[in-house]
Amino acid sequence: MIQSLSGPVDTRPWWQKLVQNYTLRTFVQSLFTVWAVITFVFFLIRLMPGNPVEIYVNYLMNTENLTYQDAYNRAASQFKFDPDASVVQQYFVYLGQLLRGDMGESITSTGTKVSSQILRYLPWTVFCVGSALLISFLLGMLLGMLAAYFRNTWVDNVISFLASIVSAVPDYIWAILILIIFGVQLKWFNVGDMRGTYDPATPPGFNLPFILSALQHAILPITTYVLGSIGRWVLAMRGSTTSTLGEDYVNIARARGLKQNRIMTAYVGRNAALPLFTLLAISIGFVLGGSVIVEEAFVYKGLGSFLFWSISQRDYTSMQGVLLIITIAVVFSNMLADLLYSRLDPRVRVTGDK
Amino acid sequence: MRTFWPLLWQNKVGLIGFIGLVFYLLLITVFQWMVGFDNEVKLDQINSPPGSRLVLLTRPEDKDSYTKLQDLVGHKVGILEKSGAPTFLEKSNVEGLEVETYRWRSGRGVPESLEALAAGEVDALIIFSKLVRRYVLDPSSRDYKVSLSHLTVSNPKLGPALLLGADTQGRDMFTHVINGGRILIITAIMAGLISTAIAFILGTVAALAGGIVDRILVAIANFIIVIPRFPLLIVLAAMITLNNWLLLATLIGLLAWPALMRAIRAQVLSLRERDYVEAAMALDLSRMHIIFREILPNMMGFVVINFVVAITTAMYDQIGLIFLGMAPINDYTWGVMLYFGRSRGTLFNIDSAAMLLAPVLAIAFFQVCLVLFSRALEEAFDPRLRGAA
Repeated sequence: MIQSLSGPVDTRPWWQKLVQNYTLRTFVQSLFTVWAVITFVFFLIRLMPGNPVEIYVNYLMNTENLTYQDAYNRAASQFKFDPDASVVQQYFVYLGQLLRGDMGESITSTGTKVSSQILRYLPWTVFCVGSALLISFLLGMLLGMLAAYFRNTWVDNVISFLASIVSAVPDYIWAILILIIFGVQLKWFNVGDMRGTYDPATPPGFNLPFILSALQHAILPITTYVLGSIGRWVLAMRGSTTSTLGEDYVNIARARGLKQNRIMTAYVGRNAALPLFTLLAISIGFVLGGSVIVEEAFVYKGLGSFLFWSISQRDYTSMQGVLLIITIAVVFSNMLADLLYSRLDPRVRVTGDK
Repeated sequence: MRTFWPLLWQNKVGLIGFIGLVFYLLLITVFQWMVGFDNEVKLDQINSPPGSRLVLLTRPEDKDSYTKLQDLVGHKVGILEKSGAPTFLEKSNVEGLEVETYRWRSGRGVPESLEALAAGEVDALIIFSKLVRRYVLDPSSRDYKVSLSHLTVSNPKLGPALLLGADTQGRDMFTHVINGGRILIITAIMAGLISTAIAFILGTVAALAGGIVDRILVAIANFIIVIPRFPLLIVLAAMITLNNWLLLATLIGLLAWPALMRAIRAQVLSLRERDYVEAAMALDLSRMHIIFREILPNMMGFVVINFVVAITTAMYDQIGLIFLGMAPINDYTWGVMLYFGRSRGTLFNIDSAAMLLAPVLAIAFFQVCLVLFSRALEEAFDPRLRGAA
C-alpha cells in the first residue's frame, strides 16, 4: 500500500532525469521563445520598409543640421550599433547587451535608459490592470457559478446574456462611454483631475493621501478593464461549473447526503475553478500589453501609454524594449499556467517517463 | 443547415443578433444608398444637439410670404447660430440658396438679431441651434418676449430635423453614422476571411502532413501567439504606411490566425481517425478531395463560428488602430469619428455627446450582434449546448 502511493522507484540516470524534467523543459522552451521574439523584433525594426535607422538619421540631419556622418554616429550610439558592422554582427552585439540587462538609450530623450523608462511606467500598469484582473476574475467566478447553479432559469439567462453583451463591447468603447456619460454629461467626476496616475500634489510614498490619489486615478481604467473582461470569466466559469455538475462524483456526493454547501465548495467549486486558474495565469501575461488604448483614452501614464508615446515619437529603442517586456511577460505566464495546471490537477501531471 | 433556421428561431438571443446583423447589412447597402454623405460645412449648425432643425422667424405681416426656404432667394436673411462669426453681412449659400445673410451668435446676438428683424434690417431670421431657439420661443423664458410680440414664427418646421445633431463642421451626423460603417465592416470581414483561411489551410496541412511540417507550423503559431497582438499591430502600423483598407485587413488577418490554426489542427487530427476519412485515404482519393469533401463539411460549423469571432477581433483591432490614429482616416468611418472625438477634444464637450455616442453605439451594437449570433451558431452546431439538454 505504502509502496503504491510512493510510485515505482525512479531508476533513470541523473542526466536523463534532468533532460526529461518537465519544469526545466518548459523553462528552456520559454527562454527559446523569448530569444526568438528578440530576434524577430530586432530584424523587424532593422529591415522594415522605411528603415527606422535611416529615418532617424534623416531626422537628425534635418532638425539639428548635423552632417550625415555625425547624424549617423549619433544614431549608432543610440541604436547601439557599429555603423560598419553587418546587421548580423549588430544583432549579436545587441544580444550581448540584453544579457547584461541593457536595452539601450531612448532615442528621443537622450541619456535616458530605456530600462529606467520602462520601470517608471510598468508599476502603474501592473497595479491598474492587475487589480482589474483580480476583481473581474473573482466576480466573474462568483457570477458564473451562480449562473451554472440556476442554469436554464431566468437568473442564468440574465447573467449569461449580460455577460455576452458586456464582453462583446470593446474595452475602449467602455472607456469612451464612461467618459461621455459619467464624466462629461452627469459630471460625477472631473475628467481632467483624473488624468495621469496620481495627483502631483501628493508625492509618491507609502501614505494615505498618495494611495487614495493613486486609487482615484486608477478607478476609471480599472472599471473599464473589469467591464471589458468580466464576461469572459462568467461564461468560462459557467461552462466549467455546468460540466462539473454533471460528473459522477458530484452525483455520488449528493446521494451520500452531503450538505449542499460542502458539495458547492469542495466538490464543484474547486474542480470547476481549475481550468480558470490556467486562464488567469495566461491573462497575467497580457496584463502589460492589453492596455494601450484604454490608457490613452484616460491619459493614464502606464506602459501602454508609454508604448504609444514611443511609437508616435518613432522612439525605436523604447518600442523594442516595451515590446520585449510585454512578450516576456506573456511567455513566462504561459509557462506558469502550464506548471500551475499540472500542480493543481494531478490527473494531468506530466512525468518524464511518459 | 436545414436544422439551423428552426433552432435560430427558438434561440431568441441569437435571433436578436441575427436581425441586428441583417440591419447592418441593410445599413451598408440600401440605407447608405438612400442617405448620402453630408460633406458640406455649415457654420450655422456647428455642434448642434440632436433633434435640431431650422426655424424661420419673420415679421407678422410677412408671415405668409415665406413658408419655405426657397422663398428666401434674393432676400436678406439673418442667421442666428450658437457659435461662429459675429455680426456681419455676407453673400452665402444657405442650403444651396443664394441669399444675403447677417450672422449673429448666441448671447448678446440674440436680442440684436430679433431687433434687426423687427426693424426690417433683415427679411427673415433663421434660427438653428436648439439652445438658442429655446431662448427665443420658449414662453417661460421672459427675456425676449417683448421682441417676439411684433415677430412671428413663419415656419416652425423647415426641413427635416437633424436626428443626431451636427459635428464640429456643421455636417449632419446622421448621414455620417449611416455611411461610416461600410468600410469598417468590409475590412473586418476581409480580415476575418484572411485569418480564417490561413488558419484553415495551415491547420489542415499541419494535421495531415504531420512530421516536420507539422512541427514547424505549430512552432510558428506558438511563436506568433505569444507576441501580444495589439501592441505588435500598432508597431507594425507605425512602420508600414497603411493607406488602404485592404492592406489593413491583410495586416490584421496575418496576425490573428494562430489560435484558430491550432484549434483546427486538433479538429482535423481527430477527424482523421474517423472511419470515413480513413476509407477515403484507403481509396487513395486526392488530398484535395479529402480536405474539401470529407473534412471541411464536418467542421464547417466550427469554421463558420470562428470566422464570426475573427470578424469581431478584426473590428476591435482596426477601430483601436484608427482611434489611436495609426490607420487610414481619410474615409470618414465610425472609428474616425472617435479619433476626432479624441484628437479634437470633442470627447470632453458636453454638447457633442451625440457626435460620439452615435458611432460608439453603432460599433458596440455591431460587436454585440456578432457575438450573440456566434453563440447561436455554436448552439445550433453543438447539440450539447442546447438549452433543453
